Amino acid sequence: MLIETKKSKFESLVRGYSGELYRYAYWLCRERFLAEDLVQETFTRAWQSWDGLRDDKAAKSWLYTILRNEHARLFERKRIEIDETQELDEVVDSGSMSAYESFEMRDAIEALPKSYREPLLLQVLGGFSCSEIAGTMSISEGAVMTRLTRARLALRKLTGRAIERKEKVR
Amino acid sequence: MTRCAKCAALAREVEDFDARIHDAAMVPVPEALADRVLLRHKVREPARFGGFGFGVWALAASLIIALGAVIQLYRADSGNEERVATSAAVGEGHAAIAAISYVLDHEPQLLKDNVSGDPAVMKSALTRLGLNLPARGTTVRYLGKCPVPSGEGEHLVLQTPFGQVTLILVPEQSLGPRVVVAYRDRTAVVNPLRSGSYIVVTDSFKNVKQIEKMLM
Repeated sequence: MLIETKKSKFESLVRGYSGELYRYAYWLCRERFLAEDLVQETFTRAWQSWDGLRDDKAAKSWLYTILRNEHARLFERKRIEIDETQELDEVVDSGSMSAYESFEMRDAIEALPKSYREPLLLQVLGGFSCSEIAGTMSISEGAVMTRLTRARLALRKLTGRAIERKEKVR
Repeated sequence: MTRCAKCAALAREVEDFDARIHDAAMVPVPEALADRVLLRHKVREPARFGGFGFGVWALAASLIIALGAVIQLYRADSGNEERVATSAAVGEGHAAIAAISYVLDHEPQLLKDNVSGDPAVMKSALTRLGLNLPARGTTVRYLGKCPVPSGEGEHLVLQTPFGQVTLILVPEQSLGPRVVVAYRDRTAVVNPLRSGSYIVVTDSFKNVKQIEKMLM
């Protein structure tokens, strides 16, 4: 009975969250096969440490945290480190030319440094609050708010430049 | 906010911008991803413990693992003597040759199309053949059907620590005696089991052996 309950809850989690976890994984590694591997590994780890999940309501942020750590473990060989020194101007100036092409918003998100991109995606894809993002990323809530604001500003600048460029071409 | 036209316009603009970010972040999810995740777990789902204590089952499992290790060692020793046949030796119509041709000629497109078959059917085929798909280190890239000399087989493409591997399951049908064949830069093994056959196609004889160890 317990095993059946565990299996059925696990299946619900897989069906409920594999899609959004894949998207988050994709934005972490930007390679679709690796992203799928990450999702598979995340659920394998989740199954193995199921007993560590005490509150069903926390399942979603638990899965995101597992995925984030798996990404660090498998593809970076270290915990994700945030580059605190990178400034907004550097972000905009270092944007690749592809940011000015037709999928400018997607390219602009890619051009963001990890420290801005990650909290933004946790908010946009996962719907997490600043406090939940702070918990997942092990940073303060204030730092999350700052990064979210800066991420949006950077995206505005990047996509604004794409529009300016298009208008010049016309 | 609603009374001030400028504030309302600004709020709308912020909402639109956030919607654009959201839309851009929503990259397409591969078809049947959840099914593939569940397949890896279902083929290894834990047996019921029944009325016995866990210790008894743990002891039984240890004995089975030890026995399995002895069998694997025996197989590894005898495997070194196994010969790899050529297409001329087995004939162009052999299941191993057909499998390699199918893998090289059709699999890239199947992977590109990213359409997957029914994991329940695949699970049933694995179970009937007594094969085991490890949950860790192996990702199912594709599930589907493929032609085999006697009809249809279950076609799996796996990403493993030994590279990309094709596994074709043919339950309840014999494809003849065990044979390892090298053809067009690929090596395939056709292996009969009590309740059917399987074919493994990969890039080397060494990897064929590794995959077989992994599946047993």
